This record gives sequence, structure tokens and C-alpha cells, in this order.
Amino acid sequence: MRSNPADYEMIAPGSLYAIVSLLAKEPGVWVPIAGGTDVMVQYAAGKLPARKLVSIWNLPELRRIEVTAEEIRIGAGCTYTDIRRHEIVGSEFPLLRSAARWTGGVANQNRGTIGGNIVNASPAADSLPALLVYDSELILVSIRGERRLPYASFHTGYKKTLLATDELLQAVCLPRRFSGYFSHARKVGARNAQAISKVCIAALGHLGDGVVEDVRIALGSVAPVPLRLTETEKIVRGKAIDSELLHLARNAVADKIQSIDDIRSTARYRAAVAGNLVAEFLNRLNSEQPGPERGEVKDVLARWNRSSVDEAMQAILPCCASKAWAQGMVARRPLADESALVAASNETWHSLTQSDWMQAFQSHPRIGERSSLEPQSQTARSVEWSAQEQENVGHAEAAVKIALADANQEYERRFNRIFIVCATGKSVPEILEILRRRLKNDAETELHEAGEQQRQITELRLRKWLQG
Amino acid sequence: MSDSRESLTKVEISFTVNGERKTVRAHPMERLLDILRQQFQLTGTKEGCGEGECGSCAVLMDGILVNSCLVPVLQAAGSNVVTIEGLAAGETLHVLQEAFLECGGAQCGICTPGMILAAVHLLNGTPNPTLEEIREGLSGNLCRCTGYSQIVEAVERAVHPRTTA
Repeated sequence: MRSNPADYEMIAPGSLYAIVSLLAKEPGVWVPIAGGTDVMVQYAAGKLPARKLVSIWNLPELRRIEVTAEEIRIGAGCTYTDIRRHEIVGSEFPLLRSAARWTGGVANQNRGTIGGNIVNASPAADSLPALLVYDSELILVSIRGERRLPYASFHTGYKKTLLATDELLQAVCLPRRFSGYFSHARKVGARNAQAISKVCIAALGHLGDGVVEDVRIALGSVAPVPLRLTETEKIVRGKAIDSELLHLARNAVADKIQSIDDIRSTARYRAAVAGNLVAEFLNRLNSEQPGPERGEVKDVLARWNRSSVDEAMQAILPCCASKAWAQGMVARRPLADESALVAASNETWHSLTQSDWMQAFQSHPRIGERSSLEPQSQTARSVEWSAQEQENVGHAEAAVKIALADANQEYERRFNRIFIVCATGKSVPEILEILRRRLKNDAETELHEAGEQQRQITELRLRKWLQG
Repeated sequence: MSDSRESLTKVEISFTVNGERKTVRAHPMERLLDILRQQFQLTGTKEGCGEGECGSCAVLMDGILVNSCLVPVLQAAGSNVVTIEGLAAGETLHVLQEAFLECGGAQCGICTPGMILAAVHLLNGTPNPTLEEIREGLSGNLCRCTGYSQIVEAVERAVHPRTTA
């Protein structure tokens, strides 16, 4: 039975404040409608219980994606098209992008919103398992203020959530910690697209030393709420992936699933498929394992890509002591491989100011010495690397060392900073010759020459750093 | 349904349809689809499933493809709507309309307006789509006659028109 439009009220106040004020005034009375891809379907079927609707479609406060160093914050009113097109979603949250791509056809992706998907709480929504494994948090807003809660706690039962009657979902926040993980998404339905899932999986994992270091698995459509398989994860973590582990994982999945017979499938079929999907993910994770030579490189970089900003800064500063450089590098994460890392470093280095360069220069010990003029800028690692870079200096004759010390002093008097040279592989007489030549440079030429030498030092150190 | 209740909930809503400024008095939850067909007699836009699954009611709203059966007319306020009637320039058909004609991209015709608008939307964003992109761009539009091959061919023809007969 079709609904009669005369039975419904609808308003579009146009600002978030006006909407939360309305929800506060008459809690539970006004039902928000965004792109209508759920609400209008219920309405068409005569099954929309609400009689008063408030439009939140295209509200600027809800339709933006903000990116900080720590997280990406997706407004609840962002459509699947907005999400599919976002660069950071594409590069760091492939599970969410896949889900956005699978949700409906183009017209529904243009109108359906991530917030609607979350609040409608369908256990079959493709994006929800992805939000679970990415450790998302939700921001709920009301006239009382904002609150932030883990998405994992939001669904309390079939189509039941923690959203209070005067609250609106404002945004979903995804931490930028998972870009180094192998990701796997798969949907099993009557068809790939344009069909509601019978079972879908979103999973992340990474291996280290041949065992599963971390794994995160969630399923849709197998329980009244999207389901994170924490017990299966526990069984798998720390183990090598072999047929015995796959068997254990399958059993754990089957134990956990309380799915239902419904129009789309049967419980037995769903439990079997869910076990297969988890096994498929683990097999693919296993075959992604990097070879022994490149393994360490991939591990170091993968770990760095997903570490916190502070950790990532500390880890990379021994390669070049400029804080601005380290910040630039951290902001350019995730970096896929060694060449991307070196390219990012070069680009960052050339974008810095002279005082940033000075900070990098001054952290080095003088050629022929061990400790820097600013020892607090040195780390155990940078001291070790400096010693390796200058290993030829120790073998030099005393007379050459004295000449080098004199030339260093002259350089410092003339340019007011220490002499920087990429010493790796150079003999002391060679270094001395370079120093004497550069003493004749004008200030600007010499600054660029020093900058180029630092760039080379950084590049060599980055390559060493990747070796673990 | 009493007249007083009708007048109570009806509101005035203005938007642009095929370049013309329109104002209607309507219940805010009336579907854009019904307003287009019944108030403006723009019956090129078809109702298929009425629940956003088939795409036969697709129109462009501010340049994006939407299913007009899922748009409450209040949400169209201030927008710029283009229906199949708005594509041709006078007697000159849109290149996609020409291509659909040439390739036999229509049988019963119910899905055709939505198909063509989905194709317009695709080519606006992706002027030179691959076959895969064409299929994805039309994936929300169902053809009950299953004439998909000719439809996809028509979009390819519009992208790469034959220079010689």
C-alpha cells in the first residue's frame, strides 16, 4: 500500500544547529532523511512509521571529509560517490572504497550516505564491516554537545543503536594506521553488484617473520549486527598460516555465527561461506608474504606507515635531523617502497627553509670527530651511521687529519656552520680536496652544495634504515 | 483526506526544470517523479520499480544522476533538474539520443530515458570511458527487454562517432 504524501510533514532547516535544536525540542518525533535511499523505499511501501521528517541532505556541516595526520573524518552526509572519489580513502582505506563501490548503482551512490548506512544499522550494509576493522569512531551531536564513541559499540541489536532520540550522527573517524596492512574484501550475493549480500567480509592483516603479526576480520549479514571475529583473530595471531590453522579458523567462525534463514539465504549456507571467506583471506594474506630479501624492507616501511605520528618522527629523525623534514616525511605516508621513500625525501628536503637545513647540518659531527656540536640532536643510530660514513678518516695519516681540522675551522669561520660532505666511500685526501675547493664558493653556491651533500647522506641513511 | 489538511501541509517549492524556472504547491514528501510527470506533464521520466532499483526514473539534479522516485520534492528546492525532454536542442537530438536511435538501443522504451541520462552523467565525468566504465556507469539501470548489448554499443558510438557512413 502506497503512502499518502498528505500524511507526512517534512522540513529542511538548512543548518546543523537548527536541526539539533528541533531534535531536542521534540525528541524521537523528527526522523532525519538524507538521500532517501532507505527512507523513501520504506515510504513507497507504506512502511515508514515516522510522520515528521527533517531533511539533512547536502548539509554543509555533514558533507565534508577532513584529513589530519592522525585520522580521516568523514561527515555523515557524505555520499558513496564522495567516498569513492576521495584520494585518501582510495590510498589508505581500500576496504571502505570497495564497499562504497558495491553499494547500489550510480544514482544510489550519488544519494546514499555513509551516515544513513550506519544509523539504519542493516546487518547487511557493505560498509559496516570495513568500519569495524578500521577501528572507526563515531561523533554524535545534540544540543547537549558532541560525544565520541567507538563504532564497535554502536550497534546493540538488530537495527538498534546507541543513538539517543535527540542525537544526530555527525561524522565517522578512521585512524590512519592501517595503510601498511594487506586488505581483503569480498561480497557473496546473488550477483556482484546491485544485490544485497548474503555474506560479506572485510579483513586486514600483516605478517612478520612468517607468522601473522596482526589480523582484523569482520563479517556482514551473518548476525543481527555487523560482526568482528575477535576470537578467530586471537586464534590466528602469532601463528604461521598452514592447513591446520585454516581448519581452526573455520571452526571458530562457525561457532561464532548465529545467522538466520531469510529470503536471501539459509543459516547453514552462510556459516559455510563465512568460513570459506575467512580461509580465503588467510590464504591470500599468506601468499602476499614478501620474499626473504625484500621482506625486511617491506616490514620496516609497513610498520612505519602505520605507526603513530610521534613514533614515525622518532624512527626517521636519525636519517636527517631536521624536524620539518621528518614532519614532511610523516605527512607523506603511506610510502609504498624504497624508491617512493627516497623520492618523498628529496621532495621534502627541497621544500624546506634554510633554518630547517641548518638544523640537519648542525646535528652532524665534524669530519674527523664523533660527537656533534649539538649532541642532543644525535641518536645512537645517527652516531653509529656517522662513524660508518667516516670510517676512512680513522685510517688517515696524522698530518692529513691536522690539515682537515684546520680546513674545518676555516670553513666554519667563513660560512658559520660545519662542513657537510657525504663522506661514504671517500678517502680523507679526497674530502680535504673537496673542502678546499668549496671554501672558494660564494655563500649561496655553497649552501646549495651543502644541501645536496645532506640530501645524499639522507638517502644513504634511509636505505640503511630500511634494512632494519 | 480533507482539503484543510491538504492546504495545511502543502508548501511552495521552486526549482529549475530543463532550463525553465518552476514553482509548485506540493506536499514536501511528494516524489519528484510524480511532480515531473503529473504537474509538468514531463512523462518521459518513467516509473519502474518505485524503490530505486531500476533507474527508469533517473534524472539529473544539479548535474548528478538521481532516481527521482527517491527524491522528496522538498529536496529538489532550488536545484536544477534535467529530464530526457531537456536534452535535445530544439529539433537537434543529443548525440546520445542519436546513438541510441542508430544502434537500436531501445525496445519497449521504458528504460531508455533513464539509460540515456545515466550515459550523459557518465560522459560528463568520464568523456572517454572504457567498456568496463560504461557498464558500471549504467549498472543501476535495468532493461527488462535485456537489450544491453545495443545500449552499451550506443554509448560507445556516442564516444567514437563514425566519421564515414
